[in-house]
Amino acid sequence: MNGENKINIVLAGQGNSGKSTVFNYLTGLHQHIGNWSGKTIEKLEGTLFYKGYTIDVLDLPGIYSLSTYSVEEKISREYILSQKPDFVVNIIDSTNLERNLIFTLQLLELECPIILVLNMVDLAKKKGVTIDSHKLQDILDLPVLRTVASRGFGLTDLIDKAIELKGKETRHVPPRYGKEIESSISELSLSLRDTDLPYPERWTAIKLLEKDGEITGKIRVKKPEVLVKTDQLRIKLEEIHGHDSSVVIADERSHLASRITREIVNILPHRKLSLNDRLDAITTHKITGYLFMFLILGGMFLTVFSFGNWLSGRLEMIFVNWHDWWILNVGVSFVAALGWAAIESVLALIQIAFPYILPFYIILYFLEDWGYIARISFLMDHIMHKMGIHGKGCISFIIGFGCNVPGCLSCRIMETRRERFITAVLVTLVPCSAVSVIIFGLVGKYVGLWWALGLYVFAMVLILLLGKLSSKLVPGEPVELIMPMPDYKTPHLRTILAQTWEALKEFVFIAAPIVIISGVLIQAINLAGWMPAISSLLSPVTVTWLGLPAMTGILLIFGILRKELILVMLAAYLGTTNFADALTSQQMITLAVVSMFYIPCVATISVLWKDYGWKKALAISIIEILFAIILGGLVNRLLDLVFKQ
Amino acid sequence: MVSGKKMMSLTELKDNQTGIIITILGGEKAAKRLADLGLTPGTEITVTGRTFFSGPVRIDVFGSKLVLGKGLASKIMVKIK
Repeated sequence: MNGENKINIVLAGQGNSGKSTVFNYLTGLHQHIGNWSGKTIEKLEGTLFYKGYTIDVLDLPGIYSLSTYSVEEKISREYILSQKPDFVVNIIDSTNLERNLIFTLQLLELECPIILVLNMVDLAKKKGVTIDSHKLQDILDLPVLRTVASRGFGLTDLIDKAIELKGKETRHVPPRYGKEIESSISELSLSLRDTDLPYPERWTAIKLLEKDGEITGKIRVKKPEVLVKTDQLRIKLEEIHGHDSSVVIADERSHLASRITREIVNILPHRKLSLNDRLDAITTHKITGYLFMFLILGGMFLTVFSFGNWLSGRLEMIFVNWHDWWILNVGVSFVAALGWAAIESVLALIQIAFPYILPFYIILYFLEDWGYIARISFLMDHIMHKMGIHGKGCISFIIGFGCNVPGCLSCRIMETRRERFITAVLVTLVPCSAVSVIIFGLVGKYVGLWWALGLYVFAMVLILLLGKLSSKLVPGEPVELIMPMPDYKTPHLRTILAQTWEALKEFVFIAAPIVIISGVLIQAINLAGWMPAISSLLSPVTVTWLGLPAMTGILLIFGILRKELILVMLAAYLGTTNFADALTSQQMITLAVVSMFYIPCVATISVLWKDYGWKKALAISIIEILFAIILGGLVNRLLDLVFKQ
Repeated sequence: MVSGKKMMSLTELKDNQTGIIITILGGEKAAKRLADLGLTPGTEITVTGRTFFSGPVRIDVFGSKLVLGKGLASKIMVKIK
């Protein structure tokens, strides 16, 4: 192994460009998911062994620009500039060439070695778009390849190209803009000459003219007099163009991309509407769009729950004798009981979470790969906006119904930290499948189905109101939805499975440790015989305020581990599953309401901890406990009017 | 050309109506973000749909489909083509 046989490439491109398909094709199972240091953004890395070369592939987040609008953009830019990979492979969605080229121009400004990949050329052709890739190669002076990543077409050429060009001088000429801009850039570059920033001077100059906060800050430290010059040049530019200088440069890029596109693209006159176009019209229509959405989501939940119930039952049969085996072989000591608590936590995670999360992810990634998820964001944007977030947040809510853990993880698709945090907090209030077990097993079965459904509506209204409130309380401005609407395409099984696999791995890694630790801890408290003391300690809240039996205090503590334990423990405590023996209808509803909101389960808390820090995770937990207690008490008093005339 | 050639907000365009972007109101941040996606003055833009209650707007720009939140769309001033 010497350095010459090692190549590192990064994949960069806009969302929907097929980047993840390329990544999965190249690296297969040799991938690992990590996090960008200190950030909540996934870092996907993988390795490919090919013709004696070890090729490390890094998949940068899908972004639309290299400004510092979102965390992903900052990370990507910083990575390319500081790590100086051998090649940046720019994956381009050929059906959206012009928009993608704007991004390419930004990459070129970074003066890094680029290989351009025109992906999905087959779909472009279907739309009647042909691209002259040789001409593009000449104009931009960089290698251009054509691929259809979903079928693996052209991807070995890509690697061959990287091997061929490795070690050769491949610095590209950065794009040239209008005359006034160019003269400003060269004047600024000149004055940047002796600042030892590790960035290309021309790029730094452009960023200064664009008022990039990060670069301006760095220059202020190194050579503040450059900023005076920058201001003069910017004012001059603004006088000529009548816009802010940052907009002037962005406009220039856009116009250049548009000129290039016109030179290389040939569009056949519009042919008749394709099946996908018609499907698109139906699924985003004012009326049929919503109908279709309810059908799809309804079908999704039905599938997830019926498959989940089936698999969960199967797994239960497998695990049923394990406890006896443990007692038989390890014994019944204090330590053995704690050991079993740890094992049981893992088994429960496998038996309860996994069967629901697996189909959920598969369907979700199917819908995403097909192109449907963006339609939901479009249809739901208006109502999401009322909560201070935009349409994309809806996806996290949908996932949250299955399990809050991936629901909170998925908030990463929101652009800013503010959006992410608000969405994550609201997701913790979405009734997940475990809470659904309580709602239907208790209220649905013994009080009435309408009461159970009413609780869901109640949760929705509450989330809406709290969303409205939090959007006012959390500082910062709401972000408007800007989202490309992808064309429908045939879902690609391999990509779906690879994404599901990665998501499952992440779920286990995040959730397992904390679930085990808290499982052992609560079992220790239980074995020490402190539970009765705790429940009498809690009785002012449970008995006096909530009107519940004292033993619910213990249930609610176990419920922190996994919410459905409230029901499981209740059955164990009563020695029967006929809950009507122990609880009145009013108590059942109150208990369900408290269970829904009183705290995110430990697995969810661990995600909040990981993504937003322990302070925020703790604050959310405490606030939600107080909130649920207050709410439960109020509900109890309201129900007095209904059940006790 | 019933309404003449006066400037109006993108949200005022009817479905399947095409306009040319004249200017983008509001802060530079929005203008820059839109320019990164190819929405600059002089660009042709077609509204292809929207949801109930004046929700987000669907647009076509050079065969590329985008969705814009209503607040953002209302900042884009266009002239009917």
